[in-house]
Order: sequence, then C-alpha cells, then structure tokens
Amino acid sequence: MEILDKLVNVALIAATLRTTAPILLVALGGSFTTKAGIFNIGLEGQMLVGAFFAVIGSIWTGSAFAGVACGVAAALVFALVFAVLVVSFRANEVVVGLALNILAGGMTISLMKAIFGTRGSIVGHGIVGLPKVQLPGARAVLGSWAPLISGFTPIVYVAFIAVPLLVLFYNRTRLGLYIRVVGEKPEAAEALGISITRVRYIASLLCGLLAGLAGAHLSLGYITMFTENMSSGRGFMAVAILIFSNGDPLKVLAGCLLFGFADAFSLRLQTFGYPSYLVLTVPYVVALTALFALSYRARPKVITETLASMQRLLSTDKNIGPDGKHPS
Amino acid sequence: MVSNAGSPTLHMKAEMAVALTGITKRFGAFVANDGIDLAVRRGEIHAIIGENGAGKTTLMNILFGLLQPDEGSIRLNGEETVVTDPAVAIKAGLGMVHQHFKLVPSLSVADNVFLGMEIRRHGMIDHAAQIARTRELSKRFGLQVDPTERVGLLSVGIEQRIEILKVLVRGARTIILDEPTAVLTPQESRELFQTLRSFVAEGMTVIFISHHLEEVMEVSDTVTVLRNGKKVATRPTAELNKDELVRMMVGREVSFDRRPRTPSRGDVVLDVKELWARDDRRLPALRDVSFAVRSGEVVGIAGVAGNGQTELAEVLSGLRPASHGSARLKGRDLATLSPREIREAGLAHVPGDRMVRGVDRNASIAANMLMGRQHRAPWSSSGVLNWTAISQNASRLIKDFDIRAQGPGDAVKRLSGGNIQKVVLAREFTNGADFLLIDQPTRGVDIGAQEAIHDEIMRQRAAGRAILLISVQLDELAALADRILVMFNGRIMGEVAGDGADEDRIGMMMAGVAAPERAAEPA
Repeated sequence: MEILDKLVNVALIAATLRTTAPILLVALGGSFTTKAGIFNIGLEGQMLVGAFFAVIGSIWTGSAFAGVACGVAAALVFALVFAVLVVSFRANEVVVGLALNILAGGMTISLMKAIFGTRGSIVGHGIVGLPKVQLPGARAVLGSWAPLISGFTPIVYVAFIAVPLLVLFYNRTRLGLYIRVVGEKPEAAEALGISITRVRYIASLLCGLLAGLAGAHLSLGYITMFTENMSSGRGFMAVAILIFSNGDPLKVLAGCLLFGFADAFSLRLQTFGYPSYLVLTVPYVVALTALFALSYRARPKVITETLASMQRLLSTDKNIGPDGKHPS
Repeated sequence: MVSNAGSPTLHMKAEMAVALTGITKRFGAFVANDGIDLAVRRGEIHAIIGENGAGKTTLMNILFGLLQPDEGSIRLNGEETVVTDPAVAIKAGLGMVHQHFKLVPSLSVADNVFLGMEIRRHGMIDHAAQIARTRELSKRFGLQVDPTERVGLLSVGIEQRIEILKVLVRGARTIILDEPTAVLTPQESRELFQTLRSFVAEGMTVIFISHHLEEVMEVSDTVTVLRNGKKVATRPTAELNKDELVRMMVGREVSFDRRPRTPSRGDVVLDVKELWARDDRRLPALRDVSFAVRSGEVVGIAGVAGNGQTELAEVLSGLRPASHGSARLKGRDLATLSPREIREAGLAHVPGDRMVRGVDRNASIAANMLMGRQHRAPWSSSGVLNWTAISQNASRLIKDFDIRAQGPGDAVKRLSGGNIQKVVLAREFTNGADFLLIDQPTRGVDIGAQEAIHDEIMRQRAAGRAILLISVQLDELAALADRILVMFNGRIMGEVAGDGADEDRIGMMMAGVAAPERAAEPA
C-alpha cells in the first residue's frame, strides 16, 4: 500500500497533465490534418523544429514568449512546406512527412553544431523558460489538490482548453465543418465550391501552429534545454492516437491522457531502480495495448471479413459456422 | 427561395429558361456532343432521352459548367452566359442533382443540405435554424426526410431527396436531374414525379435525363432525343408514343416481349434450403429462403430493392456468411468454400453494383476481362501473364459483345455505364460456369444494350446454364424468366410462372401481401 501511495498521488496526476500537454497539443494539431484527409506523419519534425527554434528565440530575445513565437514560426514553415508538396504538388504524404522529419532531425543537429559548437544538447546560454501560472485562490479552495489546476506553464492550459474549443470548432464553425467535409468526402466539397486546396492548407498550418507550441513546451516548459531528437517519438505516438481516434478531440484527449499517465508513471518507476530502458518503453506499450484493445471491437469491416474467411479457409472443422463462430 | 415574379406567361414565345445553341464537345477523336441545340421553356418538365453514351450527361455537365464546350453558346433566362464553373450556373438559378450523390455520411441531413451556405449566428452554425428550414422545404415539396438524421444511415432514395433539397436551398429555379430514377424503387420514383410536378406548379423548370421510356412518357411535357452525340428531335410528349420514341432513340425497333423458348428442365444445379442471413446491421435479411434452379431455366427474383436480394446474391457468391440453412451448388455446400472456390465450382456472378464488385474502374478492359481467371492457362503460365492472349481475347469479346471502346487497353472508367456492364457480362458469360447469378443486368443500361444483354441471357439458357436473375424491373423478368419468385422482407412470398406473369399478383406480393392462394403454378 505504501508503495502504491508513493506511486499514485496528486503529484503523479499533476505530472500526468504536464507530460500529456505536449503530446496532446501535437495530436490536436494533427487532428486538423487528419480530419482534412491528410495523413500527416510529419508531426514529429514540426515538433522538433518548434522545440529547437523556441530555444534559439528565447536566447536571442531573452523572452520565453518570443521564444515560443519563434518555435511556432519554424513549425509553421515546416507545415507550409509540407502543404505545398502534399496539397499543391500531390506528393505522397508519407514520403514528404518522413523526409521532413529526417530534415528536422538533421537540421537541428547541424544548426546546434554551427551556432553553439556542441553536439547533444543546448543548456544554459541564457535560455528563458516559461513562467508557471499560479492561479490565485487555487490553494485556498483546493488545498493540497491545488497542483491539479495551478502552477502549470501557459502552454499546458492552452492544450487542455483547446480540447473543448476543437469540439466546438468541428461542430459549430464553418471552417471546422469544411475541414471535416474535405477529409470525408472531397468530391462533395468540390461540388459545393469549397476549395479543397485552401481548406487543406489552413488545416496544415493550424497543425503546424499547435505542433510548434508542443515543441516549445518541450524545450521551454519544465526543462529549459534542447537535446538532440528531443521529441523522442511523441509525434509518432500522436499519429498512432490520431489513427485510432480518427481525430476526434475527445478521443484524442483520452488517448493522450493515457499516454501521459504512463509516461509520468514510468518516470516514477525509474526512481525505484528498475532498468531505465525497460521503464522507458512503458508508456508506449501501455498506450499501444490500450489503443489496440479499444479499436479491436471497432475494427474495420475489411479486417473482420478477412479474419472470418481465413478462419473458414483454415478450418475443415464443420462445427465452425459460416460467420466464423462456434455455435454454442 | 426566389418568388416567381408575375404569373408565368405560357403563350407561343414563352421565355426560355435554358437555350443551348450549337454545343459541340470533343474528347480526343470522340465527339460527345455534336452541334446540339436545346431550348427548355420555363415551367415545363423537359426530358432528355437517349442511349448510354448518347451525350446526355456531357450536355448537362456543359450546361452546369462542369465541362467547357468546344463550340456553341448558352443562354440562361434569355441572357448569354459563359458558364465557367458551377458557381456561375448556380447563381443563374440552375441546380443539378447528379447521378452519383455527393453527401457527407457523418453529417446530419440539415448540415448536408446547407453545406457551403450555412446559416450562422454569432459566427457559429445555427443548427436549429437549418433543421427548421430543411423541414419546411421538405414539407412543401413532399420530400420526406428527418433533418436531424445522419446521412450515412439513410437509403439511396432518401439521399436523392437530400440532394434535391440542397439544390432548392440554393435558390434553383431550373433543376437538372441526371438519371434520377436509376437508384429508386418504383414507389420512390412515383414520389419523385409528384415532387417534380410540384416544382412546375410553382413555376420552376425541370430537366430530366432518362433512358426509361415509360417514365419519360409519364412525367415530361417535352422530350428531346439524343443519339450518338446528335440531337434527333424535340417534341411535345403528348404527340409521341413509345414506339416512336424508341425508334428515335435507337434508330430501330425494340420490343420487350416475352422471349420464345423451348421448355427444358434439367438437373438441379443450385439448391437453396432454409437459408437465413443477416445484413450489415446484423438484422435478419434472409428468412427461411428455399428454392432450386435447374439447368436450362431462368429463375427470376422480383422484389423492391432492399428486400434481401443483395444479401441473397452475396451469400450465393460467398461474400456473406449464411447464419442458418444451406446453399448447394452442384451438391457442394457453399459455406465451406471461398469465393474463388465457389467460382471454380461453377458460379458466374454479374454483381448488382458493377462499379463496386464488377470492375476495377482504373484498370483496362483487358485486365477487367481477365479477372478471376488470371491463374489459368492460356492467360498465364508459371505465374506469368500472357498479355498477347489476354489482349486478343479482350478484342474478341469487345467485338462479340459490341462494347463501344477504342480497344482492350482502354480504361474502364472511360466507358459509359452500359458498356461497363457489357465488360462484366463478357467476362462472366464466357468463363464456362454452369450457374449464372445475374443481379440487375440492365440497370442504367440503354435499350439497345438491354436487348443485347437479354439475347445473351437467353443464349446461355439455351446452352443449358442454370440462371438466377435478380431484377427490380418486372418487364425484364416477364420477358426472360421461366419462374418468378417474389421477395419481401427477406422471405419468398410466392412463385409465379414467367409466362403470362400476372403483374397485379406480383405487385401484391412485392408489397408484402400474401398472394391469394391459387392452384399451384406449374413451373
């Protein structure tokens, strides 16, 4: 019990919210492209350049918020390049996304070397981190539970507030509706004079915006440093969550919270001396298992049919009914 | 809605809603429209009729701005207009209901209707207002729909109503419908005609594309006939009869009479016993269906679309599991066979939806004709395809089945509906199967091609094939079938002899009324 208390407490939940924020932001960004019918595997790269240029901007200007703006701007440039290639030139989205991810990785390393003459990470150099927002009165009302809502960086709040806003956006605004239509039935959009190109550009840029914020949160949020490949697969995790959630903000939130919790939990486990390599896999294993379990029921018809016919083919057992089930 | 200014003046030179002059459109060497003139008076239902590939859809796409004509001019409401894109046409009061619907499944009916011109309040979409407005319009024109329902859950007939509502909401005064009845049940078609008449009663104009003679005679005021990209004539419907119309359309006489036949009754090829199956929503779609098909006979399945015919075809072709009962093809239980094994056991399948299960639109005619036999000699050996043989075979079939195409390398998607169907028939009828499962063989196919398809089915019968013919067209069944089984709600309601089939009795059974007991019909 004591161990459990140590593991699960207010601090863990607060840590969950912190670790959820960047993946939630980048996944919500990806929700725009997913809904608009673009498979955006370039989230990872956008996040990474966001993180790098947030640090650069912070050093140059001495302001965390200007740093965030720089990070966002860099991610937007990546998003724009992605959109130009994928939307205008109809290049394969997976190829372009992967290429931009590799470019982001290589570019940040080279620039690090060129500017700071180091490899690995940028620490110090006057990086200004984001301030923590202490909500007035939180401690008075919630007492020891206050860390659940107070003391996060602004970007964490942005991430969680973005969820209901996106729900509203998709259901009640024209642009949100158009993004859905363009993704689900482009020929309908075309017939009604909705510009698919324009909507997809907007969706890509909105995605870049949130991915940039997510990156900035990584490097200016709780740790103020940039390290090589700092997004460490969060962008890909977000892609996985997007595939399973179909970009629905609430489902994205659920997936991200699960991942964030597993992430925070694994950090906790590290302090107990488990091998860190194993521990680090925990969030990914948990998230993937859960997503698989969730989606197994709602698996596409193609898979169901294939499974059923495979079962039929493999069995000469007449007890298996044509629907692939043993009559009980 | 725009209110109609003044009462419509219907004297000799009534204003033209649409006037096309000398429209010519070429696709490469192919002339789809050749100097076509078309004048549509305001307030009439104007039918455009012609065989598949006659140029009807091309002409309407030009009118609606989806294609640009190579020559000719367009006047809308008396004004010379260059219709550069559909927005121009919509602005001029034109609305088009396409053959293939463009609705978004996850959105509600009202959202679909107002897509692109949402009603907004404080920058947010006002769902309540859209629903109210949709409801009002649907009442006014007898287009029954529930505005709050998700489109993905609705039937094709209702989807069409939504498409019409979309056009109305955009203020259309001239409505173009491209083959609207092709997807409808007879009942839905009648409702559609009511709606079209209510449009005209409000001073609107309807342009109605069809190749269904009876519909055209029933609903239109004026008919324009196209053939091979040229206009044959424009005549008031009242002055025409069906024979004349057919002659103008195909340039030759066509009859839909019962096909003569010699009685033949061979062995049972397909034996279906107490078959049950569920549909995609897991609801029972086939209930206790039993029948047999013998070699040398055509058994027809009649019924309003959606009463289990699709599921029956899917079970018989191995695409859907049966939940109970058995279907045996030449004694072999289909439940134990994969679709390919069923085909090898002797099934040829002409699917009801040719674009989904009949062809790969992007592949060539030759490749489509190869499908299903690619693993057999002479089409391939040791896993390598013999394209010379494949291509020669395709050329021969193109000739035999009179498929209008440039050659075996042509992509199927460039063909008209009737020619695509002929590609499917050519493949299925030549693979030597003993059992032919033919689902809606002439849906969306012109009369000339219908004749050819019927001839081919009768030839297959004479060759001793067992044929199950599923069709929503009673006249087709009456012309071809030896026996007609009527399906309703997944059950077989009864059986009628094809010879001198009593349409009233079939109609009652199609509507779910058990037919009055009569002396057993000799099959």
